[in-house]
Amino acid sequence: MSIIDKVILIWTSLPPLARGALVTLELTILLLGMGLVVGIFLALGQVYGSYPVSLFITCYERFFRSIPALVLLFLFFFGSSYFGFSLSPFLSAVLALGFRSSAYQSQIFRGAIQSIDEGQMMAARTLGMSKFQAIWNIILPQAFRLAIPPWSNEYSSVLKDTSLAYAVGVIELVREGRYIIVRTFEPMLIYIIVAIIYFFFTYAGNFILGFIEGKIAVPGYERKLGRRMGGSVER
Amino acid sequence: MMKKALLAVVVSFLGLVVFSGFSLAGEPTYIVASDISWPPFEWVDEQGNYVGFDLDVMREIAKLEGYKIKIVDVAFDSIIPGIIAGKYDIGASGFTITAKRDEVVDFSKPYWSSDQAVLIRRDSGLNIVTALSQGRTVGAQRGTTGAAWIKENLIEKGVNVKLKLYETYPLAVLDLVNRNIDAVIQDEPASRASVAKEKSIQIAGIIVTGEQFGFLVKEGDPKGILPKINEGMAKLKASGKWDELVAKYFGK
Repeated sequence: MSIIDKVILIWTSLPPLARGALVTLELTILLLGMGLVVGIFLALGQVYGSYPVSLFITCYERFFRSIPALVLLFLFFFGSSYFGFSLSPFLSAVLALGFRSSAYQSQIFRGAIQSIDEGQMMAARTLGMSKFQAIWNIILPQAFRLAIPPWSNEYSSVLKDTSLAYAVGVIELVREGRYIIVRTFEPMLIYIIVAIIYFFFTYAGNFILGFIEGKIAVPGYERKLGRRMGGSVER
Repeated sequence: MMKKALLAVVVSFLGLVVFSGFSLAGEPTYIVASDISWPPFEWVDEQGNYVGFDLDVMREIAKLEGYKIKIVDVAFDSIIPGIIAGKYDIGASGFTITAKRDEVVDFSKPYWSSDQAVLIRRDSGLNIVTALSQGRTVGAQRGTTGAAWIKENLIEKGVNVKLKLYETYPLAVLDLVNRNIDAVIQDEPASRASVAKEKSIQIAGIIVTGEQFGFLVKEGDPKGILPKINEGMAKLKASGKWDELVAKYFGK
C-alpha cells in the first residue's frame, strides 16, 4: 500500500470513525451522569444512613464492583428478556456500565465526604441547620472539590470500558474501526487512529475537569490543587 | 451555582432515561442478527451500508414474502444466545448447520455448502498435511466450524496441534501474516476473499467437510418465519435472482 493509498484510507475512514466516536462519547456521558447521581446518593447513604441502609448500600457496591463489566453487560442485555421486557443494546450498556460506575463513584464521594471534618457537621447542626441543609450547603460543596481528581480517573477508565458494549451490539468506535479493517486489511493504521481518538477524549476530558477544579477552588485555601495540567488557579 | 448544576444533571439524566426508551415489542418487523465482519457473506462497505450475500438474500426474501427486516450487527458468539432470549428473530451469519446448534435453534433449508480451507504463508513451505501436524499452531475464530474441526479431528485424536482462537477471522489472518501462527482454518469462500486481499498467504488445500449453511430462528419457530424463508429461497432460485447474487458475491 503506497503512501497516497494510506492517506486516502485515513481520509475515507474518518467519517465512520467519527460516527463511532460520537456513540462512544454519548455512552460515556450518559453512564457517567447516571453513575454520578446514583453514586452521590449511595455515598450519602453509606456515611449518614442508618445501619440497614448503609449495609444495603455496601452490599450493592460490593456486588457491582466485583462483577466484570462484560458479564454485567450480558446480564442486563440477555437477562432483561427473561423478565419479559427487552432493553435495547445501547440502553442496556448505559444501565450495566452506569450501575457499575455508580458503585465506583460512591466510593470516590464517600472518601471525599469523610475527609470533611466532622466538626463542621456538628457546627452546622448547632447553628440550627437540619441534617439535609448541612449536607447540601456545607458538606457537599467541599466534597465536590475533593472528588474531582479521583473522578477524572473514573472518567478515563469508563471511557475505554465502553468498547465492551460492542459485545451486545452497540456500534461504537472500536467496532467501526473493525468494519474498516475487515474490508481493507489495514489493522495497524486503523487501530492507531482509534487510539489517537481515545487519547484525545481522555486528554480533553481531563483538561476540562482540571479547568473546573481550578475554577471552583477556594483561593488561598486549596493552593496545591492548582498545580496540574488544565488547572487555572495559577493563571 | 454548583447545586443548580447538580440539579440540572439529575433532571436531564432522568429525562434521558425516560425518553431513550425501551425497544418496542410486537412490531411486524423481524430482526436479523449477523456478525457483519465476514466478507463475502456480510460486511460494511465504504458508505457504511451492510452488504453481503446473507444480507442480500435476507432482503430479497423479505420483499418476496411481504415482511420487513431490520439488520443488526452482533458479535458471532452472541447471536444464538440472543435468538434464544428472543432479542433477534433470524440469525443470518454463515451458520453451519450442526447437530449441536440444531438442539437449541431451528434451521432453514441449507442455502450454501462450504468446505474448510487451510491458509498458510506463501514462504512457509508448508502443505496441508505438514501445516496441521504435530507441534503446529492453527488459528480460527471462536465458536466456528473450523475451530470445532481441529478439536474433533486432530486434538481429540491425539495429534498435538495448538488451536488458537480469535474474536474475528481477520485477526487470525493477521496473526498468520505476522508469523505468530502456522495456519488458519476458515470456510472456503471467506478464505478466497482473504487471499485476494492479502498477497503473502495462500490456500494450502481444502478439507472437504461438505458443511451446509442455514438461517436460524428460535427453537419451535414461534413466529412462523421458517416456512417464509424456505419458500422465499425457492422463489429466488426459480426466478434466477439467486444465481445473480451468487455471481455478484462469489464471482462464480
